Amino acid sequence: MANTSDIIIIGGGIAGTATGYYLAKAGLQVALFDKGFLCSGSTGRCIGGVRQQFTSESSIKLMMRSVELFAGMDEELGTEVHWHPGGYLFLAHDEQKKQAFLDNIRIQQAAGLKDVRWVDAAEAREIVPLLDTAGLLGGSYCPTDGQAYPFAVVNGYAQMIRKLGGRVHAFSEVGGIISAGGAATGIRLASGEEHHAPVVVNCAGPWAAEVGALAGIEVPVEAERHEALITEGVEYLGIPMLVDYRADGGYFQQFRHNGQFIGCYSPSPRVPGHSAGSTFEFLTDMPRRMLKLVPALAEVKVVRQWAGSYEVTPDGNPVLDRTELAGFYVLGGMCGHGFMLGPAMGQAMAAFVRSGAKEPPYPEFALRRQFGRAEAMK
Amino acid sequence: MGFNRACVIRMPDTAHQIICRCEDVTEEEVLRAIAQGAVTADEVKRLTRAGMGHCQGRTCRRLVNQLLARRLGQRPADQKPVTQRSPLQPVSLKVLADSNQ
Ligand SMILES: Cc1cc2nc3c(=O)[nH]c(=O)nc-3n(C[C@H](O)[C@H](O)[C@H](O)COP(=O)(O)OP(=O)(O)OC[C@H]3O[C@@H](n4cnc5c(N)ncnc54)[C@H](O)[C@@H]3O)c2cc1C
Ligand code: FES
Repeated sequence: MANTSDIIIIGGGIAGTATGYYLAKAGLQVALFDKGFLCSGSTGRCIGGVRQQFTSESSIKLMMRSVELFAGMDEELGTEVHWHPGGYLFLAHDEQKKQAFLDNIRIQQAAGLKDVRWVDAAEAREIVPLLDTAGLLGGSYCPTDGQAYPFAVVNGYAQMIRKLGGRVHAFSEVGGIISAGGAATGIRLASGEEHHAPVVVNCAGPWAAEVGALAGIEVPVEAERHEALITEGVEYLGIPMLVDYRADGGYFQQFRHNGQFIGCYSPSPRVPGHSAGSTFEFLTDMPRRMLKLVPALAEVKVVRQWAGSYEVTPDGNPVLDRTELAGFYVLGGMCGHGFMLGPAMGQAMAAFVRSGAKEPPYPEFALRRQFGRAEAMK
Repeated sequence: MGFNRACVIRMPDTAHQIICRCEDVTEEEVLRAIAQGAVTADEVKRLTRAGMGHCQGRTCRRLVNQLLARRLGQRPADQKPVTQRSPLQPVSLKVLADSNQ
């Protein structure tokens, strides 16, 4: 039957396409559905940063795995994903941040991330000669963190899914989960068309709660609006991703492959809900924040701004698990780290689905965990 | 201080028409995106970058739509408009920052 496959995946962002790719690679027939085009959700709106500097052992190790996967991706997917280990520099302007970073560096080193180190203000200036170091105590620097181009990664996975015999359906909104005898058996599109599979994976990113609800399953993921902007391309200046956690700080980096600067900041107060509306406030405030750190960029021109849904869970960690409905899985809530975590998490999700195991591979990412200590490096 | 505009010089084969001048996207690349399943200019934009350049698609949007129409038999009236994003003209970080109260 044409509408039957081994695996149905809901969501064509990084989570869905990576999971789909690894399942297809294992020989399973995959059918993937997205309500818009591929990358129309969070993944196509992110700024492409990839870092290993986290504060829990699992996340650090997963991210070291992701970096390996990004580094080998051109070959694996037969396309150019513009992986570039340009580094990440987290800036500390007060003693408390400095102490927190020093503690984190110890945890990261112990987890095997040997490349991360504390740099003082003078060394930070050596790394980024254009950095304004006024008030800077130093930073946490990892030169093997980096960047990749989200559209190329997702499209590369999708192309491989097709090549391996799977199907990728854009503009196909899932409107219902079909089940029988307490187990998922497929999905119903908003158009009414049905597709069947014994495994359905919810990879709907910021919409993971809505898609879970289609099967009566509660998924603790909420959406909030984050904005971003991109400049014209200029000569590559070798500036790593700069992360400034101060109240009027932000995150930005320069793409190696085309010289564009791309950046965003976490809005305060948060803006809950799905909204893709851009604001003049962001368009003027982000440049101010960027120039505070790198004044020399004054004449670089902004060409585009946008906004998108950013998914959050109560503790800042993802969800990778099965649900109360047999055969219905969820990988979501990656909290602003989903692009970087995607390759390793997709691989872990695929392995979990194939194993048929009851217990998820990472207890701290379990669907029904106690939501306790939050990930500090957001 | 100013920086040179990055120019990615990928001289296309003369047989391959440039569709998007800002991003150096050729007709062949757009047709490949359509062959990969793109049915809207928004998808072509994400696959090829045609429309993501300095002029924000003002020059290439029509050409992309024509190729979609030609390949897929779409009627121009049925084509979805591409998402328009501000700023409508590139503006320097300094001018924008100075506009922040
Ligand atoms: C401004 C910004 C900057 C960011 N920067 C970074 C960064 O530098 N690094 C990083 O790692 N992460 C970053 N993130 C976070 C990252 O974008 C997300 O964590 C990640 O993209 C989530 O991927 P996903 O595949 O889970 O979700 P998505 O990419 O949102 O994919 C989910 C898909 O599901 C589809 N869908 C939803 N409902 C349905 C339905 N009913 N039927 C069919 N399809 C459906 C949606 O259309 C969507 O395409 C950033 C996010 C934002 C907004
Ligand atoms: S010609 Fe395509 S963006 Fe300018």
